[in-house]
Amino acid sequence: MSHEHHAAWPRLQEQHHRVACHFCDTLHDADVIEEGLAAHCAQCGHILYRNRWNSLHRALAFGVTALCLIALILIFPFMSMEAAGNTEVVTVLGAIFNLWKTNGLFIAASVVIFVLALPITLVLLLVYLCLPLLFGKALPGSIQAMRLFQSFLPWVMVEVFFLGAIVSLLKLVKLADVSLGIGFWSTAALMVCLAGAVGGIDRTELWDRIELARSLKERRKKGA
Amino acid sequence: MKTELKSALEEKLVSCHTCRKVVEATHEHCPRCQSHLHPRKEDSLHRCLALGISGIIAYIPANLFLIMEITEFGADESTTILGGVATFWQMKAYPVAIIIFIASVMIPGLKFLALGTLCAAATGKIKLDPIRANKIYWLTELVGRWSMVDVFVVAILVGLIQMGSLMSIRPGAAAVAFGMMVILTMLSAHAFDPRLIWDRLREPSNHSKSS
Repeated sequence: MSHEHHAAWPRLQEQHHRVACHFCDTLHDADVIEEGLAAHCAQCGHILYRNRWNSLHRALAFGVTALCLIALILIFPFMSMEAAGNTEVVTVLGAIFNLWKTNGLFIAASVVIFVLALPITLVLLLVYLCLPLLFGKALPGSIQAMRLFQSFLPWVMVEVFFLGAIVSLLKLVKLADVSLGIGFWSTAALMVCLAGAVGGIDRTELWDRIELARSLKERRKKGA
Repeated sequence: MKTELKSALEEKLVSCHTCRKVVEATHEHCPRCQSHLHPRKEDSLHRCLALGISGIIAYIPANLFLIMEITEFGADESTTILGGVATFWQMKAYPVAIIIFIASVMIPGLKFLALGTLCAAATGKIKLDPIRANKIYWLTELVGRWSMVDVFVVAILVGLIQMGSLMSIRPGAAAVAFGMMVILTMLSAHAFDPRLIWDRLREPSNHSKSS
């Protein structure tokens, strides 16, 4: 397969594509770049956009894997502890329930939102966008889905939670015999998959593809 | 500075905050994503300062109150954030002490400082190299979330340790205040518009050209 086939993502042809740097507002022509490369601002050097290698497939693969991992986290124990003869097996949902019982409502809510609800929604939105885009289609509500995706992005904190889990472990091992469960390892893998899914495709590329898919759909409607 | 590079604003264009499409400034809504268009984030400095100051206010109870109420074998071992760092240090758990200190004390402190500096630079009160300002802003946005680690540690310890008589852990009021502080400062950083600093730099060249 020739290299040119994958050189750029498809976008609307009949317009002048420009991009303004998000940090300094310097205007550039949004030139097509090869896969694997990034365009930088000529004024301040910040990244304008990247052309990720095999972006849609990569975002989808990591996204679907992330969904499976979330299911594992919800089902399997996070860790088990043995102290003074009792063994206790804790799942993430069980821990959240304990937290809620001890009046830790705010903290319980922050874990539910930042570590479960937002990551799940984020990945579902990404799959909803990328899967039809693979066939050059955009499903209804793509624009809203993409806007939600972007606004949720800064609030997904699985990696921060995982660091918190490691810090807690270092404290727990002094109190009890701790053995890590499938839930713990799935959280570690989820952290990697989320980074892969989100970093797998540039937002400019997603918007360009959505725009193209929607305009093709309108043209087809007019033609019919 | 390379003055031949024009900003979108100077070309009477506006770049959509949501989808980054560049369109004529006459548009009210983005033709691609329907977002409301504005050349710079609206009330950027006011929102940044208001949220930042609220963050500082929330940081006070976060340090004064207990973050965890711990009773171990009948003894009270409750800690504040700084107390927790000191305890870990005494327990020779240096990496944990350092992580908690960086996430809970250093990052918030530096973040307040960074946001203050950026706002001062954007209003022209101090001179700041815009490239350096970009780096400061980028770092502020990047590291902000990591402060949440302390809240998650409390969440995990409280959620996991339910050993009844041996030990009981309850979340303290400081955990809520601290979480609020992190959220407020994240919103504050998000409200800041680094382009305001570059606009200030471009102003003089505009005047010299028009005269």
